[in-house]
Amino acid sequence: MCESKNIYLPNLATIETIVDETPDVRTLRLVFQDEAVRENFNFRAGQFAEYSSFGFGESTFCIASAPTRKGYIECCFRSVGRVTESLRRLEVGDTVGVRGPYGNSFPIEEFYGKSLVFIAGGIALPPLRTVIWNCLDLRDKFKDITIVYGARSEADLVYKHELKEWQERGDVRLVKCVDPGGAGPDFDGKVGFVPTVLEEAAPSAENTIALVCGPPIMIKFTLPVLERLGFSDDNIYTTLENRMKCGVGKCGRCNVGNVYVCKDGPVFTAREVKAMSQEF
Amino acid sequence: MQIITEQNLRNLIDLLVKEAKLVVGPKLSGSVVLYEPLTAGTELTLDALPRRSSKELFFPVCEDILSYKREGGAMKVTDVDRSKFPETVLFGAPPCDAGSPSILDAVMSWDYKDEFYLERRKKSTIVGIACTKGDDACFCRAVGLAPDTENGSDLFLTPLKDGSYACNAVTEKGQALVAAHKNLFAEGAGAEPVPFVDQAVQKLDLVKIKKWLEEHFEDPLWERIADICVGCGACAFICPACHCFDINDEGSTDDGVRRKHWDACGFAKFTNHASGHNPRDVQNKRYRNRIMHKFKYYDDKFGKTLCTGCGRCIRACPVGIDIAEILETINGKAE
Repeated sequence: MCESKNIYLPNLATIETIVDETPDVRTLRLVFQDEAVRENFNFRAGQFAEYSSFGFGESTFCIASAPTRKGYIECCFRSVGRVTESLRRLEVGDTVGVRGPYGNSFPIEEFYGKSLVFIAGGIALPPLRTVIWNCLDLRDKFKDITIVYGARSEADLVYKHELKEWQERGDVRLVKCVDPGGAGPDFDGKVGFVPTVLEEAAPSAENTIALVCGPPIMIKFTLPVLERLGFSDDNIYTTLENRMKCGVGKCGRCNVGNVYVCKDGPVFTAREVKAMSQEF
Repeated sequence: MQIITEQNLRNLIDLLVKEAKLVVGPKLSGSVVLYEPLTAGTELTLDALPRRSSKELFFPVCEDILSYKREGGAMKVTDVDRSKFPETVLFGAPPCDAGSPSILDAVMSWDYKDEFYLERRKKSTIVGIACTKGDDACFCRAVGLAPDTENGSDLFLTPLKDGSYACNAVTEKGQALVAAHKNLFAEGAGAEPVPFVDQAVQKLDLVKIKKWLEEHFEDPLWERIADICVGCGACAFICPACHCFDINDEGSTDDGVRRKHWDACGFAKFTNHASGHNPRDVQNKRYRNRIMHKFKYYDDKFGKTLCTGCGRCIRACPVGIDIAEILETINGKAE
């Protein structure tokens, strides 16, 4: 047998728990089957992996759990394609493949001593949730933590149980919202689009880092709001979620201009994003 | 100068076949010439450029990257035994094909190493040949190669007017091939070389072209040239330098293989997100990416142009898009 390393070979992991976040968004908690992998698998918040459903192929998702929580990883996905639908058919105890971690990460150590504002829309909370828990697990290292999270409707809000937990903690300010028409009679958040709600919440930009993730349209309208609030492009971070296959800079799919999202990203500052060819 | 007669070249192939090497060269397959395994030296056909490039020798159109099987309750994943990849000798590749691996090495070996490509590459010897068969679509000179570029070949043959070939062992692999079959080569002055065919497009200023591309991500040119592109992907599939691929499983949930196979940035769904959002949602953005990748992005990343000027995409395009003409246009516009 050859000794060269096959970069496409996944580690096997068992589905430990399944949580339905919304009718079509699901979280899988995965535990690596190999003990050495389980103990040595390290990643940083913001990195992604290729998750495979045998017989169907691979899908790219961020690692949605925090690196400070050991022993497992979580992914969160919406069932919209062949692979994600097949992942949804799997049950607790079933096996999936995991390749990774890949890509760069949020420079969390550089955020020590600063305030943080997380801004997410819809199913884009998972890539920030890894950072949120990472920071909450190191709460003393940060000043104020604000989370602005919105979705189309109440039903589309993911991690509902954690939103409640954040709401009840005294050391986090959670502003949750749904688009107009998306609120049920008992909804205790705000009604409005994320950029508008963010502007109303008006977090201070002083010594503060903003982390934004959401659909392209939300990003487009959120960046000017952050600018008005006084955030510089160097203090705004986002993570791009381009379609990928290899995850390791070979397959030629995820590039935005000459930037390979899988290798140069997926985490970028707003300054870096603005310097890219506008094709994402 | 070392000389090999045409007969001895064919004898060399016979000997290598006997040595159980995989010998690949241009061969008449039905009505077209393709790079195919040769079983005898007589099959080598050097009078036409093969329809597809020799890239697939190192990077097959489709290859297994692992197999999986459920045994009892447990899933078992098995690596492909790359040590079984055969020792390979590629014969008769003109510079536009022989030059492609030295371009692709960069993307396949930076950071993460694609050992499928690299193992095949390690086990291969390329016997290139000076090109005397060019046609109207050839533009290797435009992108910095020439019909007699030796770079990329391990052993380089120059066709001589008396039917023999002048040989230059460019690399250690080439020297080893000659040394192992010394009696087939003779020292001599050699006859005059067969002349090269003139090319319509002359050398272009690739630095100037790249600079124009840098400044014209948005330009009416893209819409104009890509207006007729039907997104068939033929240009990518016959290209010696295109390297985009997809990964998919074939088999059941219990037993099957995972395969890597060629893909094309011209396909509408190439960059389509699961959400339905597509960064390159119209054909001209996809065609722009093709040109940008070849003449700007790859150079930004690896310092090389992702094109050898073989002209296959020009011959294959069903709607007549001519990349050489596009490059000439840009060269003309660029300051």
